[in-house]
Amino acid sequence: MEWLRIFGSRLRNFFRKRKLDGDLDAEFQSHLAMLSDEHVRRGMTVEQAQHAARRDFGGVEQAKESYRDQRGLPFLETLVQDVRYALRMLRKSPGFTAVVVLTLALGIGANTAIFSLMNAVLLQSLPVRHPEQLLVLRYTDAQPRGAEEDFSYPMYQVLRDKSAVFDGVLTRSGVSFNVTYAGQSEWAYGELVSGNYYEVLGVRPWLGRLLSPEDDRTPGAHPVAVLSYGYWQARFGGDPSIVGRKILLDAQPMTVVGVSAPGFFGTEMARDPSITVPMMMTLVFKPVPANRMQSARHRWLTILARRNPEISVSKAQASTDVLYHQALEEQLNALGSSVNAHDRGRVLSSHIQLDDGSQGFAHLRGEMQRPLVLMFCVTAMVLLVACANLANLLLARSAKRRKEVAVRLAIGAGPGRLIRQWLTESILLGLLGGAAGILFAFWLKTGLIRFLPADFSSNLKAPMDAKVMGFLVIASVFTGLLFGLAPALQISRSSVTEAMHGEAAVTVSHEHVFSLRNALVFLQVALSLPLLIGAGLFLHSLRNLRGVDTGFVKENVFLANLNPSLNGYSTERIRGLYGDLLSRLRTLPEVRAASLTTSSVISGGWDQDSVRVEGYQPRQEEEVSPNNAIISPGYFSSLGIPFVSGRDFTDQDTAARPKVVIVNQTFAHYYFGDANPLGKRLSMDDDPKAPLDMEIIGVVRDAKYVNLREKPRRHFYTALAQQPRLFDMTLQVRTANDPRSIGDLVRAQVHDLDPNLPLYATTTLEIQIDNSLIAERLLSWLSSMFGMLATLLASVGLSGVVAFSVARRTREIGVRMALGAQRRDILFLAMSQMVPAVGLGLVVGLAAAYALNHLLGSMLYDVGSTDLATFAAAGILLATVAALAAYLPARRAAQVDPLMALRYE
Amino acid sequence: MAPQRGEVLQGTLDLIVLKTLEALGPLHGYGIAQRVQQVSEDRLKLNQGTLYPALLRLLQRGWISSKWGASENNRKAKYYSLTRAGRKQLQTETESWERMAALMARLLGGAEGA
Repeated sequence: MEWLRIFGSRLRNFFRKRKLDGDLDAEFQSHLAMLSDEHVRRGMTVEQAQHAARRDFGGVEQAKESYRDQRGLPFLETLVQDVRYALRMLRKSPGFTAVVVLTLALGIGANTAIFSLMNAVLLQSLPVRHPEQLLVLRYTDAQPRGAEEDFSYPMYQVLRDKSAVFDGVLTRSGVSFNVTYAGQSEWAYGELVSGNYYEVLGVRPWLGRLLSPEDDRTPGAHPVAVLSYGYWQARFGGDPSIVGRKILLDAQPMTVVGVSAPGFFGTEMARDPSITVPMMMTLVFKPVPANRMQSARHRWLTILARRNPEISVSKAQASTDVLYHQALEEQLNALGSSVNAHDRGRVLSSHIQLDDGSQGFAHLRGEMQRPLVLMFCVTAMVLLVACANLANLLLARSAKRRKEVAVRLAIGAGPGRLIRQWLTESILLGLLGGAAGILFAFWLKTGLIRFLPADFSSNLKAPMDAKVMGFLVIASVFTGLLFGLAPALQISRSSVTEAMHGEAAVTVSHEHVFSLRNALVFLQVALSLPLLIGAGLFLHSLRNLRGVDTGFVKENVFLANLNPSLNGYSTERIRGLYGDLLSRLRTLPEVRAASLTTSSVISGGWDQDSVRVEGYQPRQEEEVSPNNAIISPGYFSSLGIPFVSGRDFTDQDTAARPKVVIVNQTFAHYYFGDANPLGKRLSMDDDPKAPLDMEIIGVVRDAKYVNLREKPRRHFYTALAQQPRLFDMTLQVRTANDPRSIGDLVRAQVHDLDPNLPLYATTTLEIQIDNSLIAERLLSWLSSMFGMLATLLASVGLSGVVAFSVARRTREIGVRMALGAQRRDILFLAMSQMVPAVGLGLVVGLAAAYALNHLLGSMLYDVGSTDLATFAAAGILLATVAALAAYLPARRAAQVDPLMALRYE
Repeated sequence: MAPQRGEVLQGTLDLIVLKTLEALGPLHGYGIAQRVQQVSEDRLKLNQGTLYPALLRLLQRGWISSKWGASENNRKAKYYSLTRAGRKQLQTETESWERMAALMARLLGGAEGA
């Protein structure tokens, strides 16, 4: 504790310097006065006495100095001195300062921008009370697909009511709403939540009240809703009188009881629910299946629990697992013989797993983690290149400042003091660069977020918060230390005599300086090359993905979603509306074809349904079911997918007619081999005794369905007109011209048919495909940008080293020319000195890229991570740039007049 | 002309100052310096100015306290006095010093005898 008191006293004194200095003066004066009084008393004259007093006292200034060191914080005082001095030096060479600050702003800014995204996506906790206590419930079984997190409602009830290890267990499920208020309809994402949702999370209302367990007692009896702050602002203009009013959700009047606190964005990142309604209203908004709330087979809920802080996670997990197994056994027993032994064993092999829920549910995190971490590594490498570059620049500068160093050494500064001074200067530069980097980081971050698809980026918050700022400061200081270290050590090695003899010093330290400078060039080349190669691989991969044969024509297709079922339409009425809409659209001159489907291509998701097929015996462990889409006639002409054989659905294929189905080539080949699939029968009913009620009437070419990377999949299409129930559909309109121009026309047609029916998620097929390539586009864009930045920095650094060396060797060049050397020889002399550093850099860079790039493997498409062409192209590019960078200053050297050169210095 | 003057060992100055303040009570810097020279019969070479950093060190440790006052000649002077912590410190330091001195005496005496 004593050191703390001393430090406190020193710190206090640091800020009271002026008063204390006065005090000390007075004390010394009185001491001297008393001393001289004494001498006078012994018989000296006043003058002699004063002189003797000073002698006895010793050096007044020295005493003051050591007193001050003891009194205040000499470290801090020196620091202030150093900073002042550094600022003066930087002001004196504004060009140098500007170059360094700009380079650092780019390097540190890029790192900060990527870090702010990492912070938002990977590190941010939910804005709720004690997020670290939240746990996500998952279960694993013997299957290799990893943990699942969907539970049935009965299972949720068990976990909520019987578990003693949690302080609360909540559940939620996403739901689509058609929201109608004041004559305006629109689509909104919402959630069905358990009554304790807000209590368990600890979220406060902004207005009115939030949902409570009282709102979640009786099925269908709680027509209340809570709005999110953002939605309340955007849709209702922040009007507080909305609380207590009714809005229509899917034609069901619901009273708005409150608005949740600003900043609360639900439990899943970038899925901001606009409206929350009680779980007991499930059957209003998700009417099928009718036994959803009772059935243990329907797993549609995700669960978040608040841990009791007294109980460890492993204990809570063990206890929850016991409860979970009891419930599973009860459920299996209730189902009786309808479950076979294989399925029973599989269900019982599953175990509860409690995962950290402080960040909520995070599907986004899984997708973004690798690209973000990779980008972070890339920007860190760019920063390293920048550091090496600046270290070189500082070395050149330190050579110019040799005189200054000599003077400081001569008047008694120790090497430690000099190193400190130089490091202070470079850290100061680092901080200035960091400060300028904030602007660049902000710009880059905004650009990156804008790069993401709109529905996603609007909900992604990446604030420049304290964590990001802390990162920026640490990165700045660290960077400053890193690039300042080499020049600082260099300086400290110089001795007074060496430094005073300008010329001698140059030749003596010549060798040493050069190896250090060349090492830095080597480092820059070796770091830049893997970045360039990575960029090349990503560009190559993106080009492959863009050029992939999708099996459909992606140009000129307008897409939009609509869901009349939410407005309480009967299936017949929906069918009528769809038919009317399509025939209206087809009469428009701009429209080439129009159709509807349950799943649009490359949207990232697809329905899978198991089928029984005529003449095909499934294997025991056949897990993957074929894809299925429900489509209207005209689907294939809208997408430009050609028929291999058979015919399309027509308006005659109604519910009253025999069921028909269209399959793709892979489906046909998988089940029938080379036999003709037309006329073959299949069924979607699992019951082996049910008749095979669907007949194959057509075979179409394979296409990409879920994403561009997929291998050919089995796929079958069923007719919209023959479905017992219909939900949301995607409208696909093939247009003559720019598909974006048709949006208003389509919207007007829909509005004509039903003004309460919103059209949402409007886009074009090309944009949808581009959005599926976000990670790839982002990676190729960023890696190209940073690869070029690194190359640019490296070449500038190389150029600088050559320029510096030819400037030093001007006289030597003059002598050589006088002795008959040609300009060509001088050029060769100047450039060839860089060959070892650059050559070694290229070799090490290639090796590093070869060793590291397998990490990219799964992110690349149809290009090997050691693709020879890319490696060669990047190597040649970098070698060419390096040669050019060395050539420019070398040519200047070769053009010197030998006479001028001889007189140089 | 001057008798042989010994350099003041680092750390011993603190002990000397504490002991002086214990013996004479509150005293200003000049007084302390005078007393040190007097007791050592001028055998201790002391630049009186170096006393002040030592005084400050003792102040910071809380072993002495200071107060402005008037000297016997009515000059304004800063008076230093021993605190309770200082008294305790003096006791421990004295003991350890004596132990050390005895040890050194034994060692050096033995060496002489050999």
